[in-house]
Amino acid sequence: MLAGGDGQRAGHDTNKVLVPLAGRRVFTWSIRWAREFPRVTHTVLVVREPDIPTVRQTLEREVDGPEVLVVTGGDSRHGSEWAALQALAGPIEGGEIDVVVIHDAARPLASSRLFYDVIDAAARHGGAIPVLEQHGLTTLAHRLQDDSDEAASVADGAVVAVQTPQAFLAGPLLRAYRQAAADGFVGTDTASCIERYTDLPVRCVPGDARNVKITFPEDLFVAERLLAKVDYDLSEHPREGHHRLASLRRSLRRAESG
Amino acid sequence: MTRTEHAVFHCESCDQDTLHDLHYAGRLLESTRCTRCGRVIKVAQRALLPAYVHDLEQRIASKPRRMLRRARRDPVGYALLLPRAVLRQPGKFLREFWSLVRRP
Repeated sequence: MLAGGDGQRAGHDTNKVLVPLAGRRVFTWSIRWAREFPRVTHTVLVVREPDIPTVRQTLEREVDGPEVLVVTGGDSRHGSEWAALQALAGPIEGGEIDVVVIHDAARPLASSRLFYDVIDAAARHGGAIPVLEQHGLTTLAHRLQDDSDEAASVADGAVVAVQTPQAFLAGPLLRAYRQAAADGFVGTDTASCIERYTDLPVRCVPGDARNVKITFPEDLFVAERLLAKVDYDLSEHPREGHHRLASLRRSLRRAESG
Repeated sequence: MTRTEHAVFHCESCDQDTLHDLHYAGRLLESTRCTRCGRVIKVAQRALLPAYVHDLEQRIASKPRRMLRRARRDPVGYALLLPRAVLRQPGKFLREFWSLVRRP
């Protein structure tokens, strides 16, 4: 969970992920939805050094166990991802972690369903990113597409917005970032590092229009209203959750055996 | 009862990341102000009151869970603080509601 934020000015806590949103701080909503599934076993929060006291107090107040590991991030997104992966290196190499999900804490409305979808797709294919078809941002590459696959639902050549959470098989992801560190490569996002250093296919899953990134002050109002609209609950329906959890377990078993 | 927080957001007018003041009424975001250009974004009065009532419902519904979490974390401290907290609630809600009704 990347919560490095943009600004520390004039001695204030000015990181936007630390501001209140409907009764909680922005970044703890993300943690809540991400940890809805029992298979999510480790949570690493990457923050800037000056934010650590506030972050720890907030975690104590708003987040139940298991413990969230807080680490200091790098100067870039890539550096922060690398810091998180180093913190997880032991469990990854010990086989405790199959899939790593990287999420921007400034997206507090990424639903549990979306987390599930990217984990499931990553377990089956290697990597998964949520995308929303729209004008602007980036063009989808051909190799991300496969019409036969339900995970790929965006037309070839479509213009999409890429969201987080993004999920990848843990072993290849760690190896890719190690190699990037050795080469001094700094990727723009996780997928760029994966594409450079592995041949893992990165699949698209349908994103969620509600999954807004808090960037403008207006976004806070929008997020507040969207949360109210869903009664402050973006977790999975229990019945569907159980069904999907069983499916996820099968996918992970296949990934492990393959 | 309002409170102010500060954070850096991208201001559309300044077209850069700037420090903003965020004004909350209870848990609800009431308005934001860019400290560089002074641009204010404000929820309309007619939208704020229904939003406050809806938010209040959720606060009340989630209160037992939040109380339980605090009690689990520090049972003794929580038991000592509880009577005072309970007594303060009516005044707190009244001040919040009054600040919404009387907002400029």
